[in-house]
Amino acid sequence: MKGLNRRKVLKLAAATAAVGTMPVRAYAQAEPLRVGILTPLTGAGGNDGPRMLKAMQAVFEEVNKAGGVLGRRIETVVEDDQTNPEAAVRAARKLIEVNKVPVILGTWASAVTAAVAPVCWESKTFLMTVSGADTITLLPHQGFLIRTQPNSKLQATSHGEFVASLGSKRVAVIGIQAPFALPTKEHLDTLLKAKGGAVVSHVIYEKDKTTYRSEIDQAMRSNPDFLYLNGYAPDTVVLLRDLYRANINLGKFCQSYAVPQATLDTMPPEVSEGVMTGQPSADVESTAYRSACARLGVKEIDGYEAQATDWASLTVLTIAKAKEASGVALKENVRKISQGSGEKVYNAIDGLKAIAAGKEINYEGASGPCDFTDIGDISGCRFRYMKVAKGKLEFLKLV
Amino acid sequence: MEVLQLILNGLMAGTVLAVPAIGLTAIFAVLRFTNFALASHMTIGAFAGFIANTTFGLPIVPALAAAFVVAGIIGWMSDEFVLRPLRASGFVTTAIGSIALTIALENFVRFGFGNQMRGYDLPLRRDWVISGLRVSPQQFENLLIAIVVVAMLFAFLSMTRTGKAMRAVADNPMLASIKGINSDMVARLVSFIAMGLAGLGGMLSGLDTTIDPLVGFRTILSVFAAAVVGGLGSIPGAVVGALVIGVGEELSLLVLTPAYRTAVGFIAILLVLTFRPRGILGQRAY
Repeated sequence: MKGLNRRKVLKLAAATAAVGTMPVRAYAQAEPLRVGILTPLTGAGGNDGPRMLKAMQAVFEEVNKAGGVLGRRIETVVEDDQTNPEAAVRAARKLIEVNKVPVILGTWASAVTAAVAPVCWESKTFLMTVSGADTITLLPHQGFLIRTQPNSKLQATSHGEFVASLGSKRVAVIGIQAPFALPTKEHLDTLLKAKGGAVVSHVIYEKDKTTYRSEIDQAMRSNPDFLYLNGYAPDTVVLLRDLYRANINLGKFCQSYAVPQATLDTMPPEVSEGVMTGQPSADVESTAYRSACARLGVKEIDGYEAQATDWASLTVLTIAKAKEASGVALKENVRKISQGSGEKVYNAIDGLKAIAAGKEINYEGASGPCDFTDIGDISGCRFRYMKVAKGKLEFLKLV
Repeated sequence: MEVLQLILNGLMAGTVLAVPAIGLTAIFAVLRFTNFALASHMTIGAFAGFIANTTFGLPIVPALAAAFVVAGIIGWMSDEFVLRPLRASGFVTTAIGSIALTIALENFVRFGFGNQMRGYDLPLRRDWVISGLRVSPQQFENLLIAIVVVAMLFAFLSMTRTGKAMRAVADNPMLASIKGINSDMVARLVSFIAMGLAGLGGMLSGLDTTIDPLVGFRTILSVFAAAVVGGLGSIPGAVVGALVIGVGEELSLLVLTPAYRTAVGFIAILLVLTFRPRGILGQRAY
């Protein structure tokens, strides 16, 4: 360091700066296009998140094999939201500020999405989610959010019609403390009242408890003839076990994500016998659904895998349409490829070809038509109802 | 009748909570730091018992013994190799280190077993109804097991030479050392027993529900509340604290909606720390 003087330092600095610019230009041609994935790999959503992640990666892999988008490979940056709003916000900040992703795909729990959404819209990053609470799309997200999951109103209305069709009039709602808890109960009540029934009690409980005996006692005081359990898997298991122990043999309905087969396997079959579940259904008769199954090498995929498939396809197609990978471009162009009178396409590869040929397209997804309202809700969806018999889910009906 | 049922539910929940709470308070009494790694050891115990029960077909009591031994050994090792080197840097560093340790261990379990929930191979029995009060046979058994374990621990502390040495170190480490008690050995023993109890508590709470890698994390706040309310460092205090938290959370349902149940434990902490900073039974270990 002895020979260093002001001139040498300046020359060195100038040379370093010049060298620094060269590889950047050379690299820019092949710089991958980063996409942020923020699914729950742990916590209450840990059962769905990893499968959603796989479904998205399969689409991106297929697109990369076909040459990528805008001449760039797609690279996913995966973070675990832990089904925890605080952890999710930290992860989202990292994806946005460090990885500079234009889009985040995958938040699952409504409380997580409500926490992550402001971080996204403030930084003009696009967000796609499966969270169902009505409040999510009512946030001032300036268009930087869409969801493929029906909102609480669509869900509760369909569930209410299903419950009413069973002849139940006095429904007790026992649900976890979550943004969807109150709206679901209110929509359910409205629907049931129109059919001559009502929600006769509503108990909101805290997550992470080892017993809900007292909550059940509270709900039973109103003498219900049906139980609507509105929680996640860990707490629904506790509820079902406590209901069995207490010898309460009323009809029970749960969200399908609360009692997937893996959860049913943890319980003696008599505990879950007769439990009915409902879920927004993947469009099982569609070409997009069959192509998603083939891509994942399975016979059938569930609603979450289907929605994740659609996010990946929508992302790729919107970027191709906009010829730009930014949150603003996604916001302004997503509806140009997801709806309208363009040629119907059922997967990202066909869509990319059509866009390259200068055609207008309308992506029809594995989860449904993927048509979005101004606030980012889907305009309609099918529901699949199942019933547990001897510890296994059996198909009841598609509505 | 409703109040009686709530008190009964609270006692059942509180007794199970008492087992890991004793572990937390015992470590504090001897090693003078709050070992949050207790959460992951509850998980480890629950999974060790699960393997003993479902893979090796052991009945519940031997499976509980497996939960105790495996969690105890891992507790001793994690203290020896991870937390002990941190103790020289003080209470706060060690407590923070224990949080990092618990997250690491929890993820080891997740790596090995995945995220999905699992259940013990155990028939689920309907509640007994006695004079209008419902009692779950499983919870009643858990209550008995917890009482037996606590009684054995008290007998160990008061009647054996090693137990007395542990109490001596907890009361006055300097004096104990002058008397020739090997405080390192006592520290190892406390880590083994305390984390063994955590493992046992993890399995007891899993017996009633299901287990997954977060089984300990879900309970640790209530365990911590129980230990603080009873008097951090006091073993009988942990039992009293656990019962107060258990019954308090249930009785709160008379005036609050269940959504605020956990707040009761922390309001109890605030009240106790304000009016009786050393907890209900103070800080004497025994």
